Amino acid sequence: MSYDVVIIGSGPGGYVAAIRCAQVGLKTAIVEKYSSLGGTCLNVGCIPSKALLDSSEHYHNAAHTFKTHGIELKDLKVDLGQMIKRKGDVVKQTVDGINFLMKKNKIDVYTGMGSFVNKNKIKVTAADGKTQEIETKNVIIATGSKPISIPPVPIDKKRIITSTEALNLTEVPKHLIVIGGGVIGLELGSVYSRLGAKVTVVEFLDTLIPAMDRGLGRELQKVLSKQGFEFLFKHKVVGAETKGKEVTVKAENAEGQVVEIKGDYVLVAIGRKAYTEGLNLEAVGVKVDERGRVDVNDHLETSVPGIYAIGDVVKGAMLAHKAEEEGTFVAERLVGQKPHVNYNLIPGVVYTWPEVAAVGYTEEQLKEAGRAYKVGSFPFKASGRARASMDLDGFVKVLADKTTDEILGVHMIGPRAADMIAEAVVAMEFRASAEDVSRMSHAHPTFTESMREACLAATDNRPIHM
Amino acid sequence: MALDIKIPAVGESITEVTIGKWVKKDGDTVKADELLLEIESDKATFELNSEAAGVLRIKAKEGDVVQVGAVIASIEDGGVAAKPADAPAAKAESAAPAATKAAAPSAGTGEVKEIKVPAVGESISEVTIGTWAKKTGDFVQVEDLLCEIESDKATFELRAEVAGTLETVAKQGDVLPIGGLVCKIKVGAGSAAAPQAATSAPAATAASSGGSDYAKGHAAPAAAKILDEKGISTSSVQGTGKDGRITKEDAQNAQNKPVEKAAASNGVSAPKAPAGSRVDDRQKMTSLRKTISRRLVAVKNETAMLTTFNEVNMKPIMDLRAKHKDAFKEKNGVNLGFMSFFTKAVCQALLEYPSVNAYIDGEEIVYHNYCDVSIAVSAPKGLVVPVIRNAETMSFVEVEKEVVRLALKARDNKLTIDEMSGGTFTITNGGIFGSMMSTPIINAPQSAILGMHNIVERPMAVSGQVVILPMMYLALSYDHRIIDGRESVGFLVRVKQLLEDPTRLLLGV
Repeated sequence: MSYDVVIIGSGPGGYVAAIRCAQVGLKTAIVEKYSSLGGTCLNVGCIPSKALLDSSEHYHNAAHTFKTHGIELKDLKVDLGQMIKRKGDVVKQTVDGINFLMKKNKIDVYTGMGSFVNKNKIKVTAADGKTQEIETKNVIIATGSKPISIPPVPIDKKRIITSTEALNLTEVPKHLIVIGGGVIGLELGSVYSRLGAKVTVVEFLDTLIPAMDRGLGRELQKVLSKQGFEFLFKHKVVGAETKGKEVTVKAENAEGQVVEIKGDYVLVAIGRKAYTEGLNLEAVGVKVDERGRVDVNDHLETSVPGIYAIGDVVKGAMLAHKAEEEGTFVAERLVGQKPHVNYNLIPGVVYTWPEVAAVGYTEEQLKEAGRAYKVGSFPFKASGRARASMDLDGFVKVLADKTTDEILGVHMIGPRAADMIAEAVVAMEFRASAEDVSRMSHAHPTFTESMREACLAATDNRPIHM
Repeated sequence: MALDIKIPAVGESITEVTIGKWVKKDGDTVKADELLLEIESDKATFELNSEAAGVLRIKAKEGDVVQVGAVIASIEDGGVAAKPADAPAAKAESAAPAATKAAAPSAGTGEVKEIKVPAVGESISEVTIGTWAKKTGDFVQVEDLLCEIESDKATFELRAEVAGTLETVAKQGDVLPIGGLVCKIKVGAGSAAAPQAATSAPAATAASSGGSDYAKGHAAPAAAKILDEKGISTSSVQGTGKDGRITKEDAQNAQNKPVEKAAASNGVSAPKAPAGSRVDDRQKMTSLRKTISRRLVAVKNETAMLTTFNEVNMKPIMDLRAKHKDAFKEKNGVNLGFMSFFTKAVCQALLEYPSVNAYIDGEEIVYHNYCDVSIAVSAPKGLVVPVIRNAETMSFVEVEKEVVRLALKARDNKLTIDEMSGGTFTITNGGIFGSMMSTPIINAPQSAILGMHNIVERPMAVSGQVVILPMMYLALSYDHRIIDGRESVGFLVRVKQLLEDPTRLLLGV
């Protein structure tokens, strides 16, 4: 078969690129190594973790806030098997949705490992070893990323696990040790913390979610500590040992002393790396950078014309929605359109509760750039809506240019922050000022009123409800 | 208050007109732009429309001969026929007559001046709004450029008649009739202070609303994509969104600036489609293009047009030019081109063959005792035909200077209607684009057009010898209704003769 474009990898970058390619009239095929489409995000990432986060959140509320709400429960208990099964159903339905979309858009799906024969020929090797070759004018590499491990802590997938295994545990850990205070560690740590596990986070740096505004890390640490998390900052993990059901993690603290932490599971969540194994990039001469990521220019074209790469396998934030933007971008570029991706306005989201979400510049970045800015902050404590739902932790912080009032960054931690950040993205895409947003009606009572209040605070320090 | 209806200047050579048939009677209530009467001049019949709504008072009878500028009627205010737009203003005045009167000029009475499409030329009934130089909310001074107006003949600049705050009504690309509302200006000096205050205290603007324009010209995501695909920079687009932001609609309406367009041949800058793309692009015809298309088809249908050919040896002219061009340039500051030779040769021939210089008007033939030579020029927005007047009396230098002047104005879209109207004969030069031979279409209502072509060295038989000579084919398309073959061919042979022996031009032989 011969195609206009073949996409290798069917995660949110790959399948969105495929659909957009088909929409703009290109004959499109997609190659997926696993039997199920959707990549990490749908199968072992965003979607299943959200399913478990929602389930565990319900349990947590039932155990801790229902009584205050006036709901009495007896014999409350966790059925982890059912939770995992429901998560599986959610994944299956979502994956089926992708299958339907491929069919609807007349995209040919090849199951097997895709690798380059030359720049116009892809070999697909199925699990049973059968191979076939497909011809194509263009290729989009969308192979995503894999969890990183560190030599002192070899993954055994039983007691020392990655996020993939953490989504399929058969028991609630008694003490889960999470190595890495980033998004994945905190989300999965939250799941088991809510279900009753003791969770200890060992982080090399001195803050959580280090890429985000420091204010968010501090607040999140405060809230999670209240929920029972323990944090060991500035601890460098030097070893891990499994004895039966017990794992001992050894870490060196800031003073250079080695401390031992004993638990029954260790989740290694120190990050992910670009995944290009088996692509046979050497055969076509596609260059990768020092971190193994596929090198691309501003148009996401690799060193070989006609071969593009998107998502986690290239530089930039490892986020599903970033990959989707890039997939659309490349598809449209292929037919001569000229879209843009505004990388500064790709929001970052953490699905703890309260959720964390941010877009634009952090205070640290603005300070470093020497830009004069104003800060407007509004705590959910002062929100009527948040009081009603007992979600009083967190705040919205708006950073605006000191002279023009243009919004430069929005950082929020609070209920439904992940949904609320959309308003900030829209405002910033249109380069709205803080006052612009504060002059737009926000429905009452909603969590989004806090965004408006923070904008009022940023404009002129004149919030209404504070 | 009554408005006098005067005889407009209908053409440069017309000083008096005859009152034709009145369509409206004395005492009739008329609306703005309603046809009042016909006026006959020695060249054509014109219609005169009412400039305002009101009651008509006729002062000149049918058959009267009156001077241009004479008052022939007046329109009295009042009655039910008052223009809707005037109504609120009138009401406001009657509600507080004392206050309005006292408030004197320029004190920001809230008076709103409506800016309408002016009558830009006798044959122009509608115009297209071009680029806005100002936007709603801007404070404009008298004579500030508001926007460009494109007619089928030329581009005009619409300037503010009063100082005040602008409110645009028509959008770029809108087609409006003469008298159509373009924008409103809220008269008043008061608002002038506002922008000044804003600029003098930039720090304060952050806190106060609306003063900030940092986002002016910022393209929304969809707009940015469209502009990039059109190859238009955001700086050349007038944003109509909040504080001058460029909306998707702005981007969709954005067109390349004429200057950029000029680079493309003949202004036909079809948007470049990416390789392999099968997407069609649809663009609205400009009113100039619409008129060109309508007129060319009309000429084909309404005349008995045919073309005669000849060829001319350009060597004598080229030798003459080579010999004198430096001295000519030095003395006159303008190059000695071919146009002066052709224009002078054509004038000489026109005087000898008057039917080629004539046109049909109804059942009469109008012969011209002068040669107004139209020259087809490729302007950014399409073909324009400025006129060299009384070319028969001009020297070579004068012709060359006039050609340069008109061509420059054509390039900048600055030609006026006057400079393009009239003309008794046209010269077009397809040779500059490399044309070897063509059959040009007559520039109506003229009766003939001379087509110049490229100069190519060809082997010619001269006195039994083959000689290589720089040759040009000449084509004369003419209206056979009034020009017979003998005249058309004779005319073209005469032009050839004069060009091949330019000294004849000197002696008139």
